[in-house]
Amino acid sequence: MGITGRLALRNLARNRRRTLLTAMIISLSLTALMFTDALIQGMTDTMVRSATRLYSGDAQIHHRDFLARQDESRVIDDPEAVLEQLAREPEVAGFAARTLAFGMVSSAANNRAVQVVGIDPEAEAGVSKIAGAMIAGDYLSEAGPVTQLLIGDRLAELLEADLGDRIVVSVNNQLSEAAEQQLFRVSGIFHLNARAMDENLAFIRLPEAQSMMGLDGAVHEIAFNLTSASLATDTSLGLWQRLSNDRWVAQGWTELMPQLATMLQLTNSSTIIAGIVLFILAGLGVINGLFMSIYERTYEFGVLLAIGTRRRQLFKLIMTEGLILALGAIVIGLILGVLLITWSASVGIDYGSMEVSGVALAEIIRPQHRFMQYSALPFWVLVMTLVACIYPAIHAARIVPAKALHKSL
Amino acid sequence: MSSVIETRDVSKHYGEGDTLVKALDRVSLGIAPGEFTAIVGPSGSGKSTLLQLMGGLDNPTHGQVHLANKDITQMSGRELSDFRRDHIGFIFQAYNLIPVLTAAENCEYIMLLQGVPEAERRERVYAMLERVGLAGREGRFPHQLSGGQQQRVAVARAMVSRPDIILADEPTANLDSQTGSDLLDMMHDLNRNEGMTFVFSTHDPMIMERASRLIRLKDGCIDSESEREA
Repeated sequence: MGITGRLALRNLARNRRRTLLTAMIISLSLTALMFTDALIQGMTDTMVRSATRLYSGDAQIHHRDFLARQDESRVIDDPEAVLEQLAREPEVAGFAARTLAFGMVSSAANNRAVQVVGIDPEAEAGVSKIAGAMIAGDYLSEAGPVTQLLIGDRLAELLEADLGDRIVVSVNNQLSEAAEQQLFRVSGIFHLNARAMDENLAFIRLPEAQSMMGLDGAVHEIAFNLTSASLATDTSLGLWQRLSNDRWVAQGWTELMPQLATMLQLTNSSTIIAGIVLFILAGLGVINGLFMSIYERTYEFGVLLAIGTRRRQLFKLIMTEGLILALGAIVIGLILGVLLITWSASVGIDYGSMEVSGVALAEIIRPQHRFMQYSALPFWVLVMTLVACIYPAIHAARIVPAKALHKSL
Repeated sequence: MSSVIETRDVSKHYGEGDTLVKALDRVSLGIAPGEFTAIVGPSGSGKSTLLQLMGGLDNPTHGQVHLANKDITQMSGRELSDFRRDHIGFIFQAYNLIPVLTAAENCEYIMLLQGVPEAERRERVYAMLERVGLAGREGRFPHQLSGGQQQRVAVARAMVSRPDIILADEPTANLDSQTGSDLLDMMHDLNRNEGMTFVFSTHDPMIMERASRLIRLKDGCIDSESEREA
């Protein structure tokens, strides 16, 4: 090791407590950045999963005018062809056709406007979490009676209805353009842990819904999941073109739920701002630590300059001290970060079903490891530390030996 | 005989107007090779300022300082650093060794800056430390040495790079009289046997007794000069 490295290393070892405190500022900043990123990743993943896998699916196919107009006459009139295409797509993990109707549900005690959804029970179970969210009664069954009806627990409360109670469901028939009413019985009550869904959704079997709405085998929506939820944001995938034509369009969740996508972008921006604030604070800590060290050694720097050390060499010495400090602190920060993320991922963080932008964080959030936490973040912490060292290093290099040695010479 | 170092009409002023302080006022002197010179005078007489200007640690307000036939007042910061490294040895009052370097490393440091090969550095360092009576203590850090031993390392550090002149500021001020006397004897030997030029700034009668030339400063001017056979 050269004389600069030796001097730097030994200088850092001189005041171990100060070096340790300065290093801890850097280490803990890195750990905090890593953990924040891991938490945001985990939270984003949970939010996206809660928003998509709970009910809507990673992506959906609709008639091109359906969503914009909410016009129930805009249907996919040949769903079988689309379903066959979906079955051929390797990235598709599950799919289910649905009819969607704004209707009225009436109990003996109350009535309420809801969305009446016709579903294929078996296919739906591969896309949404309704089957697993039953808290009373049973999920819809092909073999059961045609009057099966699933409602959310909050809707059941509003309707003062319980299992087996009779509910009249009214929807518009697209053929007769008249209201169509039919009597159902509450066969199951679900709790999706999202107020909007538990209050405003009622599920009946697909054939009954198609019959009531006069759709003749047509559907309004085909929801599907992908092998990885992140694929839904990949617009370069060929399946979007293959599943779309001039009449219907396949869209990922970012297009279907732009408010959620925007919110996640805002979360990312907030993380970047928090990171910058953390960087500034850590940088100030490093500057403070190095300045204390420099003021303590002003006399010594005067001697070094007097005996022929060039100012650039003194600058290099301080920068080397900063580099060694940063590298040591980054190693500590990485170890702390790995341990913290691994531990918090194993125990999870429970947000108690908190809703963010209408999305319930139904699952325990598990912070996620990411490559950038071990590459980009340490790199930027190193850069931050070295940038923070420049000012103290310039200050040290500008020391006037005659003034520094004033006490002696 | 030509001078190792020469000041020509050198002045150093601080402040201006009513607050103007003439720390040094038009001082001209030359130090010949092999001299053992003491600059003496009361506090505030300009001893320290003169030594700073001779060592290139500060620039004069007026006048020139010539060392090795070069006007060091005209040099850039980098040139001056290199010039100090190669031509001047400093001994400070408070030893001022680098605390994180061993005795040998302190001596070696300037030669590292000079680019002296490792084998030669080692040989010269060990020889010089032996010369100042510190053989066997090469690996000790300054805090493991006594005050006298630290000042011996400082002398060795100043000598080992083979400068033209050694400027010593109150080198015995922090030492007891016996240690100070031993150190001065050692430096006097180096002066007589190796021809090394020493310039002291001092109040110490022991240095004055050994000096071959005494320069008395008063109010920033040379008050008197005397030479004698040391």
